Amino acid sequence: MILSGYEALFFWIFALAAIFAALLTVMARNAVHSALFLISSLVSVAALFVLAGAEFIAGVQILVYVGGVMVLFLFVIMLVNVGAEEHGREEIFNNRRQVTASLIFCFLLVAGVLYAVNEGYRGLQKSRPIPENALGAGTRPTETGPPGATGTSMITKDTEAVGNSLYRYASLPFEIASVLLLVAIIGSVMLARTLKQEASADDVDPELLQEEIARDSELAKLEPQSE
Amino acid sequence: MLNSFIPILAFLFQEVVGNDRLAQMKHAATHPDLSKFLVIGALLFIIGVAGVLTRRNIIVIFMSIELILNAANLNFVAFSRYLQETGSVNALAGQIFTVFVIVVAAAEAAIGLGIVIALYRNKETIWVDEIDLLKW
Repeated sequence: MILSGYEALFFWIFALAAIFAALLTVMARNAVHSALFLISSLVSVAALFVLAGAEFIAGVQILVYVGGVMVLFLFVIMLVNVGAEEHGREEIFNNRRQVTASLIFCFLLVAGVLYAVNEGYRGLQKSRPIPENALGAGTRPTETGPPGATGTSMITKDTEAVGNSLYRYASLPFEIASVLLLVAIIGSVMLARTLKQEASADDVDPELLQEEIARDSELAKLEPQSE
Repeated sequence: MLNSFIPILAFLFQEVVGNDRLAQMKHAATHPDLSKFLVIGALLFIIGVAGVLTRRNIIVIFMSIELILNAANLNFVAFSRYLQETGSVNALAGQIFTVFVIVVAAAEAAIGLGIVIALYRNKETIWVDEIDLLKW
Protein backbone atom coordinates (compact mmCIF):
# COMPACT_ATOMS: atom_id res chain seq x y z
CA MET A 1 0.00 0.00 0.00
CA ILE A 2 1.62 3.23 -1.09
CA LEU A 3 -0.06 6.61 -0.92
CA SER A 4 1.23 9.51 -2.98
CA GLY A 5 0.45 13.10 -3.88
CA TYR A 6 -2.43 14.61 -1.93
CA GLU A 7 -3.12 11.29 -0.22
CA ALA A 8 0.35 11.46 1.36
CA LEU A 9 -0.17 15.08 2.42
CA PHE A 10 -3.50 14.27 4.07
CA PHE A 11 -2.04 11.15 5.62
CA TRP A 12 0.56 13.22 7.50
CA ILE A 13 -1.93 15.93 8.46
CA PHE A 14 -4.38 13.43 9.94
CA ALA A 15 -1.67 11.28 11.50
CA LEU A 16 -0.20 14.27 13.34
CA ALA A 17 -3.68 15.45 14.32
CA ALA A 18 -4.52 12.01 15.71
CA ILE A 19 -1.32 11.78 17.75
CA PHE A 20 -1.47 15.31 19.15
CA ALA A 21 -5.15 14.97 20.01
CA ALA A 22 -4.37 11.67 21.74
CA LEU A 23 -1.56 13.29 23.74
CA LEU A 24 -3.86 16.13 24.77
CA THR A 25 -6.53 13.58 25.74
CA VAL A 26 -4.14 12.05 28.21
CA MET A 27 -2.76 15.37 29.45
CA ALA A 28 -5.81 17.64 29.65
CA ARG A 29 -6.75 18.74 33.14
CA ASN A 30 -10.49 18.94 32.54
CA ALA A 31 -12.21 15.63 31.69
CA VAL A 32 -14.56 17.37 29.26
CA HIS A 33 -11.55 18.68 27.32
CA SER A 34 -10.17 15.14 27.33
CA ALA A 35 -13.40 13.89 25.79
CA LEU A 36 -13.38 16.58 23.09
CA PHE A 37 -9.74 15.85 22.21
CA LEU A 38 -10.56 12.14 22.07
CA ILE A 39 -13.35 12.96 19.61
CA SER A 40 -10.92 14.83 17.35
CA SER A 41 -8.45 11.95 17.60
CA LEU A 42 -11.15 9.46 16.61
CA VAL A 43 -12.25 11.62 13.67
CA SER A 44 -8.64 11.87 12.47
CA VAL A 45 -8.27 8.10 12.67
CA ALA A 46 -11.52 7.79 10.69
CA ALA A 47 -9.89 9.96 8.01
CA LEU A 48 -6.90 7.57 8.03
CA PHE A 49 -9.36 4.71 7.53
CA VAL A 50 -10.70 6.49 4.44
CA LEU A 51 -7.12 6.87 3.15
CA ALA A 52 -6.58 3.14 3.72
CA GLY A 53 -9.66 2.41 1.65
CA ALA A 54 -12.04 1.39 4.45
CA GLU A 55 -14.89 3.85 3.94
CA PHE A 56 -17.45 1.69 5.72
CA ILE A 57 -15.30 1.36 8.84
CA ALA A 58 -14.70 5.12 8.83
CA GLY A 59 -18.43 5.73 8.78
CA VAL A 60 -19.06 3.21 11.54
CA GLN A 61 -16.26 4.76 13.58
CA ILE A 62 -17.85 8.21 13.41
CA LEU A 63 -21.40 6.95 13.99
CA VAL A 64 -20.65 4.57 16.86
CA TYR A 65 -17.67 6.17 18.60
CA VAL A 66 -18.26 9.86 18.11
CA GLY A 67 -22.03 9.72 17.94
CA GLY A 68 -22.68 7.09 20.60
CA VAL A 69 -19.82 6.25 22.90
CA MET A 70 -18.47 9.77 23.32
CA VAL A 71 -21.91 11.21 24.04
CA LEU A 72 -22.26 8.55 26.75
CA PHE A 73 -18.86 9.58 28.13
CA LEU A 74 -19.86 13.24 28.19
CA PHE A 75 -23.09 12.40 30.00
CA VAL A 76 -21.21 10.47 32.67
CA ILE A 77 -18.64 13.26 33.05
CA MET A 78 -21.45 15.75 33.57
CA LEU A 79 -23.03 13.39 36.13
CA VAL A 80 -20.01 12.61 38.26
CA ASN A 81 -17.45 15.37 37.67
CA VAL A 82 -16.84 17.14 40.93
CA GLY A 83 -15.14 20.04 39.16
CA ALA A 84 -12.13 19.98 41.44
CA GLU A 85 -9.50 19.21 38.83
CA GLU A 86 -9.90 22.18 36.51
CA HIS A 87 -9.27 24.66 39.30
CA GLY A 88 -5.90 23.06 39.97
CA ARG A 89 -6.90 21.81 43.39
CA GLU A 90 -6.45 18.15 42.54
CA GLU A 91 -3.46 16.36 41.07
CA ILE A 92 -4.48 14.76 37.77
CA PHE A 93 -1.73 12.15 37.64
CA ASN A 94 -1.01 9.36 40.05
CA ASN A 95 1.86 9.69 42.50
CA ARG A 96 5.34 10.36 41.19
CA ARG A 97 6.78 6.85 41.52
CA GLN A 98 3.96 5.32 39.53
CA VAL A 99 4.27 7.94 36.79
CA THR A 100 8.04 7.48 36.49
CA ALA A 101 7.75 3.69 36.38
CA SER A 102 5.02 3.79 33.77
CA LEU A 103 6.86 6.35 31.63
CA ILE A 104 9.99 4.18 31.65
CA PHE A 105 7.83 1.22 30.70
CA CYS A 106 6.25 3.24 27.91
CA PHE A 107 9.60 4.33 26.49
CA LEU A 108 10.72 0.70 26.42
CA LEU A 109 7.45 -0.14 24.69
CA VAL A 110 8.00 2.63 22.10
CA ALA A 111 11.48 1.35 21.32
CA GLY A 112 10.38 -2.28 21.15
CA VAL A 113 7.28 -1.64 19.06
CA LEU A 114 9.02 0.64 16.57
CA TYR A 115 11.86 -1.88 16.18
CA ALA A 116 9.39 -4.74 15.73
CA VAL A 117 7.31 -2.78 13.21
CA ASN A 118 10.33 -1.98 11.06
CA GLU A 119 11.81 -5.48 11.18
CA GLY A 120 8.46 -7.14 10.67
CA TYR A 121 7.58 -4.89 7.76
CA ARG A 122 10.87 -5.66 6.06
CA GLY A 123 10.23 -9.38 6.48
CA LEU A 124 6.66 -8.97 5.23
CA GLN A 125 7.81 -7.17 2.11
CA LYS A 126 10.14 -10.09 1.38
CA SER A 127 7.60 -12.84 2.00
CA ARG A 128 4.52 -11.11 0.54
CA PRO A 129 5.62 -8.49 -1.96
CA ILE A 130 3.04 -6.21 -3.56
CA PRO A 131 2.80 -7.15 -7.24
CA GLU A 132 4.13 -4.49 -9.62
CA ASN A 133 0.78 -3.71 -11.23
CA ALA A 134 -0.74 -2.79 -7.84
CA LEU A 135 1.74 0.03 -7.25
CA GLY A 136 0.89 3.66 -7.87
CA ALA A 137 -1.59 6.23 -6.68
CA GLY A 138 -5.08 5.12 -5.90
CA THR A 139 -4.88 1.61 -7.36
CA ARG A 140 -7.20 -0.62 -5.43
CA PRO A 141 -8.51 -4.08 -6.14
CA THR A 142 -11.96 -3.12 -4.90
CA GLU A 143 -13.10 -1.20 -7.93
CA THR A 144 -15.29 1.86 -7.84
CA GLY A 145 -18.81 2.00 -9.11
CA PRO A 146 -20.11 4.18 -11.93
CA PRO A 147 -19.46 7.92 -11.66
CA GLY A 148 -22.12 10.05 -10.09
CA ALA A 149 -24.23 12.75 -11.72
CA THR A 150 -21.36 15.24 -11.72
CA GLY A 151 -19.17 12.70 -13.45
CA THR A 152 -16.40 13.08 -10.90
CA SER A 153 -17.62 11.43 -7.70
CA MET A 154 -16.86 7.74 -7.49
CA ILE A 155 -18.76 5.52 -5.10
CA THR A 156 -16.49 2.76 -3.85
CA LYS A 157 -17.58 -0.82 -3.52
CA ASP A 158 -15.91 -1.21 -0.13
CA THR A 159 -19.19 -1.23 1.79
CA GLU A 160 -20.66 -3.85 -0.51
CA ALA A 161 -17.56 -6.04 -0.20
CA VAL A 162 -17.50 -5.74 3.61
CA GLY A 163 -21.20 -6.57 3.81
CA ASN A 164 -20.75 -9.59 1.57
CA SER A 165 -17.92 -11.07 3.52
CA LEU A 166 -19.44 -10.10 6.89
CA TYR A 167 -22.48 -12.27 6.19
CA ARG A 168 -20.61 -14.96 4.26
CA TYR A 169 -17.68 -15.63 6.61
CA ALA A 170 -18.68 -14.05 9.92
CA SER A 171 -22.41 -14.50 10.37
CA LEU A 172 -22.08 -16.47 13.62
CA PRO A 173 -19.79 -13.88 15.26
CA PHE A 174 -22.22 -11.24 14.02
CA GLU A 175 -25.09 -12.88 15.91
CA ILE A 176 -22.89 -13.36 18.99
CA ALA A 177 -22.04 -9.65 18.85
CA SER A 178 -25.73 -8.76 18.90
CA VAL A 179 -26.22 -10.95 22.00
CA LEU A 180 -23.18 -9.25 23.57
CA LEU A 181 -24.74 -5.83 22.99
CA LEU A 182 -28.01 -7.01 24.56
CA VAL A 183 -26.11 -8.27 27.61
CA ALA A 184 -24.28 -4.94 27.82
CA ILE A 185 -27.55 -2.98 27.72
CA ILE A 186 -29.15 -5.08 30.44
CA GLY A 187 -25.95 -5.13 32.51
CA SER A 188 -25.50 -1.38 32.46
CA VAL A 189 -29.15 -0.81 33.39
CA MET A 190 -28.75 -3.23 36.32
CA LEU A 191 -25.50 -1.61 37.44
CA ALA A 192 -26.77 1.94 37.36
CA ARG A 193 -29.96 1.36 39.36
CA THR A 194 -30.32 3.10 42.71
CA LEU A 195 -31.37 1.27 45.85
CA LYS A 196 -34.74 3.01 45.59
CA GLN A 197 -35.29 1.67 42.10
CA GLU A 198 -34.20 -1.78 43.23
CA ALA A 199 -36.55 -1.64 46.19
CA SER A 200 -39.53 -0.60 44.08
CA ALA A 201 -38.82 -3.53 41.76
CA ASP A 202 -38.77 -5.76 44.86
CA ASP A 203 -35.28 -6.87 44.00
CA VAL A 204 -33.42 -6.34 47.30
CA ASP A 205 -32.52 -8.72 50.08
CA PRO A 206 -35.17 -8.00 52.82
CA GLU A 207 -32.58 -7.80 55.63
CA LEU A 208 -30.47 -5.33 53.67
CA LEU A 209 -33.56 -3.29 52.93
CA GLN A 210 -34.40 -3.10 56.65
CA GLU A 211 -30.88 -1.88 57.38
CA GLU A 212 -31.12 0.77 54.70
CA ILE A 213 -34.54 1.88 55.92
CA ALA A 214 -33.07 2.33 59.38
CA ARG A 215 -30.51 4.68 57.80
CA ASP A 216 -32.81 6.44 55.34
CA SER A 217 -36.49 6.62 56.22
CA GLU A 218 -37.43 7.78 52.71
CA LEU A 219 -37.08 4.19 51.52
CA ALA A 220 -39.88 2.96 53.76
CA LYS A 221 -42.43 4.80 51.66
CA LEU A 222 -41.51 2.65 48.68
CA GLU A 223 -42.24 -0.62 50.41
CA PRO A 224 -46.03 -0.78 49.93
CA GLN A 225 -45.47 -0.51 46.19
CA SER A 226 -43.41 -3.62 46.13
CA GLU A 227 -46.07 -5.79 47.73
CA MET B 1 16.91 35.39 11.80
CA LEU B 2 14.80 32.26 11.52
CA ASN B 3 14.98 32.53 7.74
CA SER B 4 18.74 32.31 7.76
CA PHE B 5 18.70 29.56 10.35
CA ILE B 6 16.64 27.03 8.43
CA PRO B 7 18.99 26.59 5.41
CA ILE B 8 21.94 26.14 7.79
CA LEU B 9 20.03 23.50 9.73
CA ALA B 10 19.01 21.81 6.50
CA PHE B 11 22.62 21.84 5.28
CA LEU B 12 23.89 20.38 8.57
CA PHE B 13 21.15 17.76 8.47
CA GLN B 14 22.12 16.86 4.90
CA GLU B 15 25.79 16.60 5.90
CA VAL B 16 25.06 14.35 8.84
CA VAL B 17 22.48 12.11 7.19
CA GLY B 18 23.94 11.99 3.68
CA ASN B 19 22.32 12.65 0.34
CA ASP B 20 21.20 9.09 -0.46
CA ARG B 21 19.62 8.61 2.91
CA LEU B 22 17.97 12.05 2.66
CA ALA B 23 16.43 11.18 -0.70
CA GLN B 24 15.23 7.89 0.76
CA MET B 25 13.67 9.69 3.72
CA LYS B 26 12.02 12.20 1.42
CA HIS B 27 10.59 9.42 -0.68
CA ALA B 28 9.35 7.61 2.42
CA ALA B 29 7.67 10.81 3.66
CA THR B 30 5.94 11.59 0.38
CA HIS B 31 4.93 7.96 -0.21
CA PRO B 32 3.68 6.61 3.13
CA ASP B 33 3.21 2.86 3.09
CA LEU B 34 1.96 0.18 5.48
CA SER B 35 4.78 0.72 7.97
CA LYS B 36 3.78 4.37 8.48
CA PHE B 37 0.26 3.30 9.40
CA LEU B 38 1.73 0.76 11.83
CA VAL B 39 3.95 3.40 13.42
CA ILE B 40 0.99 5.76 13.91
CA GLY B 41 -0.99 2.88 15.41
CA ALA B 42 1.89 2.02 17.74
CA LEU B 43 2.20 5.62 18.93
CA LEU B 44 -1.54 5.89 19.60
CA PHE B 45 -1.39 2.58 21.48
CA ILE B 46 1.47 3.76 23.67
CA ILE B 47 -0.18 7.10 24.42
CA GLY B 48 -3.24 5.11 25.50
CA VAL B 49 -1.16 2.83 27.72
CA ALA B 50 0.50 5.86 29.31
CA GLY B 51 -2.93 7.34 29.98
CA VAL B 52 -4.20 4.15 31.63
CA LEU B 53 -1.11 3.90 33.82
CA THR B 54 -0.76 7.52 34.92
CA ARG B 55 -4.15 9.21 35.16
CA ARG B 56 -6.23 9.36 38.33
CA ASN B 57 -9.62 10.13 36.79
CA ILE B 58 -11.37 6.82 36.05
CA ILE B 59 -13.28 8.30 33.12
CA VAL B 60 -10.08 9.47 31.44
CA ILE B 61 -8.71 5.94 31.97
CA PHE B 62 -11.72 4.59 30.06
CA MET B 63 -11.05 7.09 27.28
CA SER B 64 -7.44 5.91 27.11
CA ILE B 65 -8.72 2.34 26.70
CA GLU B 66 -10.77 3.57 23.74
CA LEU B 67 -7.55 5.02 22.29
CA ILE B 68 -5.83 1.64 22.63
CA LEU B 69 -8.69 -0.19 20.89
CA ASN B 70 -8.67 2.44 18.16
CA ALA B 71 -4.95 1.95 17.57
CA ALA B 72 -5.61 -1.77 17.11
CA ASN B 73 -8.35 -0.92 14.61
CA LEU B 74 -5.92 1.21 12.63
CA ASN B 75 -3.54 -1.76 12.37
CA PHE B 76 -6.34 -4.09 11.26
CA VAL B 77 -7.47 -1.70 8.52
CA ALA B 78 -3.91 -1.02 7.30
CA PHE B 79 -3.15 -4.75 7.04
CA SER B 80 -6.47 -5.32 5.31
CA ARG B 81 -5.49 -2.82 2.61
CA TYR B 82 -2.04 -4.36 2.32
CA LEU B 83 -3.50 -7.84 1.85
CA GLN B 84 -5.97 -6.52 -0.74
CA GLU B 85 -3.01 -5.34 -2.77
CA THR B 86 -1.07 -8.57 -2.43
CA GLY B 87 -4.16 -10.35 -3.74
CA SER B 88 -4.97 -12.36 -0.64
CA VAL B 89 -8.22 -14.35 -0.74
CA ASN B 90 -9.93 -13.09 2.40
CA ALA B 91 -8.31 -9.67 2.62
CA LEU B 92 -11.41 -8.02 4.11
CA ALA B 93 -11.12 -10.06 7.32
CA GLY B 94 -9.28 -7.12 8.91
CA GLN B 95 -12.16 -4.74 8.29
CA ILE B 96 -14.68 -7.27 9.61
CA PHE B 97 -12.62 -7.77 12.73
CA THR B 98 -12.58 -3.99 13.18
CA VAL B 99 -16.38 -3.96 13.22
CA PHE B 100 -16.35 -6.48 16.07
CA VAL B 101 -13.71 -4.51 17.96
CA ILE B 102 -15.96 -1.44 17.74
CA VAL B 103 -18.92 -3.50 19.02
CA VAL B 104 -16.89 -4.75 21.98
CA ALA B 105 -15.65 -1.21 22.68
CA ALA B 106 -19.21 0.09 22.76
CA ALA B 107 -20.30 -2.69 25.14
CA GLU B 108 -17.24 -2.07 27.31
CA ALA B 109 -17.98 1.65 27.50
CA ALA B 110 -21.61 1.03 28.50
CA ILE B 111 -20.72 -1.46 31.24
CA GLY B 112 -17.71 0.52 32.43
CA LEU B 113 -19.63 3.77 32.73
CA GLY B 114 -22.42 1.91 34.55
CA ILE B 115 -19.79 0.74 37.04
CA VAL B 116 -18.49 4.31 37.35
CA ILE B 117 -21.99 5.58 38.16
CA ALA B 118 -22.53 2.85 40.76
CA LEU B 119 -19.10 3.50 42.25
CA TYR B 120 -19.67 7.25 42.43
CA ARG B 121 -22.98 6.66 44.15
CA ASN B 122 -21.34 4.53 46.84
CA LYS B 123 -17.87 6.05 47.25
CA GLU B 124 -18.41 9.65 46.09
CA THR B 125 -15.13 9.66 44.20
CA ILE B 126 -13.79 9.17 40.68
CA TRP B 127 -10.09 9.10 41.67
CA VAL B 128 -8.73 5.60 41.22
CA ASP B 129 -6.23 5.94 44.08
CA GLU B 130 -9.11 6.45 46.50
CA ILE B 131 -11.00 3.39 45.26
CA ASP B 132 -9.14 0.69 47.16
CA LEU B 133 -11.86 -1.61 48.50
CA LEU B 134 -10.13 -4.72 47.14
CA LYS B 135 -6.69 -3.68 48.34
CA TRP B 136 -5.35 -4.91 51.69
